[in-house]
Amino acid sequence: MTSDGERRLRLAFGLAVGSVVIAAAGMAAGGDGWSPAGLFRALANADGRFIVLQIRAPRTLGAWLTGALLGLSGAAAQGLFRNPLADPYLLGSASGAVLGVVLVLAAAALGGHVVSVATAGAIARFGLVGAAFVGALLGVLLTLSLARGAQETMHLLLAGVVVGVLLTAASDLVTSAAPDALRGKQAFLLGSTGFLGWQSCAFMALGLAVTLPAAWRLARVLDALTLGTETAASLGLALGRLRIALVVAIAFATALAVSQAGLIAFVGLIAPHLVRRFAPATHGYTLLAGAAAGGLLLLTADVLARTVIAPQEVPVGVLTAILGGGYLIWLLRRRRAA
Amino acid sequence: MFQHRDAQTRAMIPAEPTPRRSAALSGGRLWSVFFLIFLASGAPFTSAAHAREAIRDDRGITVTFEAPPRRIVSLLPSLTESVCALGACDRLVGTDRFSNWPDRVQALPKLGGLEDAQIERIVALKPDVVLASTSARVMDRLESLGVRVIALESRNRADVKRTLTVLGQLLGAPGKAEAVWAGVERATRAAAARVPPAERGQRVYFEIDPAPYAAGPDSFIGESLRCLGLGNAIPAELGPFPKLNPEFIVRTQPDIVMAAQASVADMPRRPGWSTLRALRAGRTCAFPSGTYELLVHPGPRMGEAAAALAECLAHLPPPSAR
Amino acid sequence: MTSLRATGIGVSLGGARVLDGVSLDLRPGWTAIVGPNGAGKSTLLRVLAGLRTPDAGEVQLDGVPLAAWAPRERARRLAWLTQQGSASGDLTAREIVLLGRLPHLGIVASPGAADEAAVERAMEEAECAAWRDRRPQELSGGEQQRVLLARALAVEAPLLLLDEPTTHLDPPHQVALARLFRRRAAAGTTLVSVLHDLSLALVADRLVLLERGRVRAEGPTDDPALHAALVEAFEGAIRIERVGGRWVAFPHLEV
Repeated sequence: MTSDGERRLRLAFGLAVGSVVIAAAGMAAGGDGWSPAGLFRALANADGRFIVLQIRAPRTLGAWLTGALLGLSGAAAQGLFRNPLADPYLLGSASGAVLGVVLVLAAAALGGHVVSVATAGAIARFGLVGAAFVGALLGVLLTLSLARGAQETMHLLLAGVVVGVLLTAASDLVTSAAPDALRGKQAFLLGSTGFLGWQSCAFMALGLAVTLPAAWRLARVLDALTLGTETAASLGLALGRLRIALVVAIAFATALAVSQAGLIAFVGLIAPHLVRRFAPATHGYTLLAGAAAGGLLLLTADVLARTVIAPQEVPVGVLTAILGGGYLIWLLRRRRAA
Repeated sequence: MFQHRDAQTRAMIPAEPTPRRSAALSGGRLWSVFFLIFLASGAPFTSAAHAREAIRDDRGITVTFEAPPRRIVSLLPSLTESVCALGACDRLVGTDRFSNWPDRVQALPKLGGLEDAQIERIVALKPDVVLASTSARVMDRLESLGVRVIALESRNRADVKRTLTVLGQLLGAPGKAEAVWAGVERATRAAAARVPPAERGQRVYFEIDPAPYAAGPDSFIGESLRCLGLGNAIPAELGPFPKLNPEFIVRTQPDIVMAAQASVADMPRRPGWSTLRALRAGRTCAFPSGTYELLVHPGPRMGEAAAALAECLAHLPPPSAR
Repeated sequence: MTSLRATGIGVSLGGARVLDGVSLDLRPGWTAIVGPNGAGKSTLLRVLAGLRTPDAGEVQLDGVPLAAWAPRERARRLAWLTQQGSASGDLTAREIVLLGRLPHLGIVASPGAADEAAVERAMEEAECAAWRDRRPQELSGGEQQRVLLARALAVEAPLLLLDEPTTHLDPPHQVALARLFRRRAAAGTTLVSVLHDLSLALVADRLVLLERGRVRAEGPTDDPALHAALVEAFEGAIRIERVGGRWVAFPHLEV
């Protein structure tokens, strides 16, 4: 086997083993910090078992699934934009999700003043998760229509930036009219794995089961795009349609992740980098390994969040920012030294 | 209703719904024997029906309780205060990180805020009920884990009164709720009596945030001011907490300016604000942070808040002749 | 036998007329498109490859308008190599060349033995088989160019449109390439290359001289009238002479 193949295998193995080990550690991380003894004690009685199986287990698995969705989206976005600094939030999904959340939070306050009570009630019934999901998808739809499809990378990028700015401004407008929504908006911007239950896991697992194969199929398009758009077109690829398919896959995976856990930073950006550093490969591998790397990254951040200052919790977004930012700093220093 | 049955019901009927006792109907005699046993156990059928309470919270959802909850988690400071005002402070097993009154509450486990509540620790405390506000993700998650959640919103005086009533019903102390509210109104009236007559009708600018956000007449602060006989520099059409153009405040020339101590100190430096007559005449209420917190959070301590307002008003330099 | 015919091609870019009334009939063999800078050669090649829709005129592949072809069908018949070749990313040389099989595989099918064989053949022909497991960042400009060329050859299309295929190549490799093109042309491939190196172009079967968007002259490479047109188009800065049995162009240095 070539050294390339060896590295790919080793990385895959490492990601799998790492995920299992840290997930197991996560089961021992709870209100008392990290305590394997506590875990065994908990498993001995019904109440403890309930906590471990109904709270810790789905949260741990959910963190991995969320990270996997973000890692997959990040890898696909970096391939689509041919830019290693791209992340899944570039297409307007993040700002759309925030607007959805803010509208629900503000609906109670605004009902009777700016909007009718009936409208406010209808918005509130969506729920925070539903509103974030729909908002994210609508944000991407807006970007696609502004860019008139996904043909031109530059247009898509610019449209994404414009939509991001517009929708963020709309959220700010709503929160200035209803300041009560500010705290909830801040919490959503930071992200949290604390509310992930088995239902969240089911949704995300289903979403991953759909988007992962779809993205893998489209991986060859990303490979062809590394040669340039024109060359890729000359190879007989219906680029317009295929790129839109990629955008849809990214949008769906991102919307699912942020609706469950908020806008967790850096996972989508860093996971593909980690994969490429250890085992450069075609996009087929990078997408799958990127998902696994994202899962492991967020899983680790979640377990650390629960243990470092127990019984308090560090917001998981802060930890991913530290891990991600730290990696980027290290990368820069290596480049300068080289 | 629960009070005289309390000890008995606690012993007989747990908070969780129990499987119904299936009586074997083999003949009338067996039936009457069972009925006698039933009576002897001191838990008459009629009492069991009264023991079940159906609480309707602000989401419109009805939650049924077999008995008043004994272990309560509160995720909102105003709800913590309400529970304690109703005399059930000892039933609290955990609060959010912002609850700090009364002092005994500070020793309780702090479970995060509404947006980042620690699910595992809440469930580990085995609460009979969790009190929260509407529109919080934590509610759905806790309910999916089988925890009972009551969501209560407290934005204005009517909300606070309703919250006290609902909590009173929940805790099995509806009379206490009425008493607490009566106390609030009494304290407010007493505070109103302390307000110098010269201050009646004076227009107040109450600043919520240096942005500036003001308290309009329809907010609970505006309501408190109205109860004290004062007016509001902000027209009602702008809503309860409008974000204003600072120019508007300068033009409207409020008679009294009320804000946090740090903000009042800073106000003369704001462009154009040095022309505010109220600032120049020293007709300001600069509240230290503790008092300010009390004023901007609706809850059962609104009577104290009204007293704090009256205290400041009593010491203001008299209004100048217009 | 694949034929590519362009009729009355006109292209405007930002108000300027880049191509005007260009008509070409391309048959099996090696045709070299030459001309001064800015003559519109690359644009013409793009139009011929179907990558740019002309504002006027039409291109027909085997008698059917280019736009009417299904993309993959067209891609199997027509391979294109860009002038601004770039190979970025983590793919190895072999994986890049394998992308040339996309017109046959589509995005779903896995490469089979036939595809691997085609890749090997293409890499041998382009003389880059030695670094099949290396990445473009590790290769020199010339080595990268040969990988990209192999990618175009791997399509095994009867029509090859190559824009400056000799970029970065040193003389030995240019010669090898010229031999490869001659072989392919003799075997029936329709090969169209844009070349700025006139000596190399004079090895081809036919020459098309493009000047300011128009076909100034066209014909077999040994046509003297064509030579005269060439000298005129390059403002007398070149001389075309027969050296050692071949036509050669070299700069006319009268300083």
